[in-house]
Amino acid sequence: MTVIDQLTETEAEHTGHRPRLARVGWILLAIVLSVPPLVADPLELTRLSRLVVLVLAVLGVNLLTGYAGLISLGHGVFVGVGAFAMANLIDQGLSLFVAGLLATVLTGLIGLLLGLPALRVRGLYLALITFGIALAFGPFVRRLGSWTGGVTGRTVDNEAFVPPSFLGLDDQVHVWRYLCCLVVVAVWFLIVRNLIRSRMGRAIRTIRDNESAAATFGINVPAVKAGALTISAAMTGTAGVLQAILNPYISHADFDAFLSLRLYAAAVVGGLGTLLGAVFGVIALIVVPFLNDAVGLIDNEAVVFGAGLVLITFVAPTGVAGLFGRNGNTAGD
Amino acid sequence: MELFLQRCFDGMFNGAIYASLAIAIVMIFRSTGLLNFAQGEMAMMSGYIALVLLSAPGATGIGFSLNGTGWAEQWVPFHPWPTGVAIVGAVLFGGLLGAFIERFIMRPLDGKSTLSQVNVTIGLLIMLNGLTLWIWGPFARSFPSPFPNGIDDFVSIGGARLRYTTIGVWIVLLVVIAGLGALVQNTKTGLAFRAITSNRESAALVGVPIRRTLTVGWAIAAGIGALSASLVGGAIVLEPLTMMKMLIYALAAATIGGLDSPLGAVVGGFIVGLAQALAPGYLGIPTELTLLPPLGAMVLALVLRPHGLFGTVPVNRV
Repeated sequence: MTVIDQLTETEAEHTGHRPRLARVGWILLAIVLSVPPLVADPLELTRLSRLVVLVLAVLGVNLLTGYAGLISLGHGVFVGVGAFAMANLIDQGLSLFVAGLLATVLTGLIGLLLGLPALRVRGLYLALITFGIALAFGPFVRRLGSWTGGVTGRTVDNEAFVPPSFLGLDDQVHVWRYLCCLVVVAVWFLIVRNLIRSRMGRAIRTIRDNESAAATFGINVPAVKAGALTISAAMTGTAGVLQAILNPYISHADFDAFLSLRLYAAAVVGGLGTLLGAVFGVIALIVVPFLNDAVGLIDNEAVVFGAGLVLITFVAPTGVAGLFGRNGNTAGD
Repeated sequence: MELFLQRCFDGMFNGAIYASLAIAIVMIFRSTGLLNFAQGEMAMMSGYIALVLLSAPGATGIGFSLNGTGWAEQWVPFHPWPTGVAIVGAVLFGGLLGAFIERFIMRPLDGKSTLSQVNVTIGLLIMLNGLTLWIWGPFARSFPSPFPNGIDDFVSIGGARLRYTTIGVWIVLLVVIAGLGALVQNTKTGLAFRAITSNRESAALVGVPIRRTLTVGWAIAAGIGALSASLVGGAIVLEPLTMMKMLIYALAAATIGGLDSPLGAVVGGFIVGLAQALAPGYLGIPTELTLLPPLGAMVLALVLRPHGLFGTVPVNRV
């Protein structure tokens, strides 16, 4: 057992001190998510699928900001890269599965590339760089017209995405899409869960808690940061891939700086450093506009959401997930 | 040569705007170690307040009436105000907004993690942007320049036109810097501000009124930021997204100059403005990608000199 293992042992116990409650939460979630295909109409189900996909993007932010302590204000860019890569790879005649996989890997690599300079800088500076990238992405996409459709955007050829015949879902493509999204997102959740519990996960959290100490313990800080960034970008790219399939028309406007800010806000509101936080964050993204409509005071959900982000820092610094008792992993300085 | 000079002059105008917003960011970073991501949006609200103060009720130039002008006509004496006076009003509003945010939002978070403070400024960014959009709509508004801005209002230097607005903006910027310098060097509040910047705990121990000084610091910073949003007028239009782009230029300027150096902010603003004006012509970067050179310069500065050109090198305690 290395020093790091010993050091983070107590934290591992700490984070897992309410495992039963979390498990109940996951089971409840599974039950809730299995109802819509039976009752919802195609349009509503597609909308729900998109929210499921959004959870994946928020989890990407959560992995980087919540677990690794690297603030990213640019994850909307990775959603965009994934979506546009998917569209172009389909054009090349690749099968959907291969295209999706390749787009995911590609987004991960681009995340690594963009993040390389960021690995040298600390804390706030990464937030700065990623925010700049998020703002520059729109004009950049408009410029690459042949790949991205320029200003108007482009269509994605998702015709091939049909359920296999033995499932008997032939006329219910939306259900098939919903199920696929759920499975893909669930797989990513499992990957992140295992990653967090692995040796690398402990290294990631040690870097978050004290970078200098982590380096002293022999953790290769740049390598671990690069790894976390790549995986985070890749899973966010997968979210883009799924979004391209669900909504076969994508343009630069879908991936503006506000998407990045919303993803970040959702990750914070939901609860940084907990897996369920990503789910809560997206629920907040739905509930807030809904409540806002019901109250009807302010005709702009951004105002309410921004105010919510400010408020939650005071009321529940660990996010909504923290309110439910799993307050182990608050991201510190 | 003529073209080169012309591009430099164009860049200088933007440079001054970036510099003033960068000074606001630097002031807050120096005293609290916090990057205020909402600085641009705070400035933008103030800019719209200036617009309300100087516009007569009814349709503005592009046919959309500006919310609040009717209210202002009823309650604000001598409304509509001349542009210069309206800008002073916007600066005062910005100062109040800054003081309010410091007193009621940032101060209770004192001692919390950097992350929660950053989260709050991002929340404020989203909220203030939404608020501006909600109140005044997504339309681009032209903002009259406080300086002579006619077609003949320029000085010809080497064949290139140095516009009065550019000169005016730089004069305002220099006055602000001089005023700020005098304030910091010669007043008791300035002394307190320097003490806090140098060592907060020691300052508190010898009885420096930390809280009051920080509120004043935030107010001044936000006031300077408001100035930047108001002076943008004459060159580009004001719309809810304007200051978001300005913010990234200003952040680039502040980073290049060193986040804790006001002088660096001015030099950085100058560099970013020039880079933005010269890159499209000489590096073949398309105009819509003018965000890239400053961004690249910022990344380069962070990688090579993370503390900037004029910043202090931080010492990290393990």
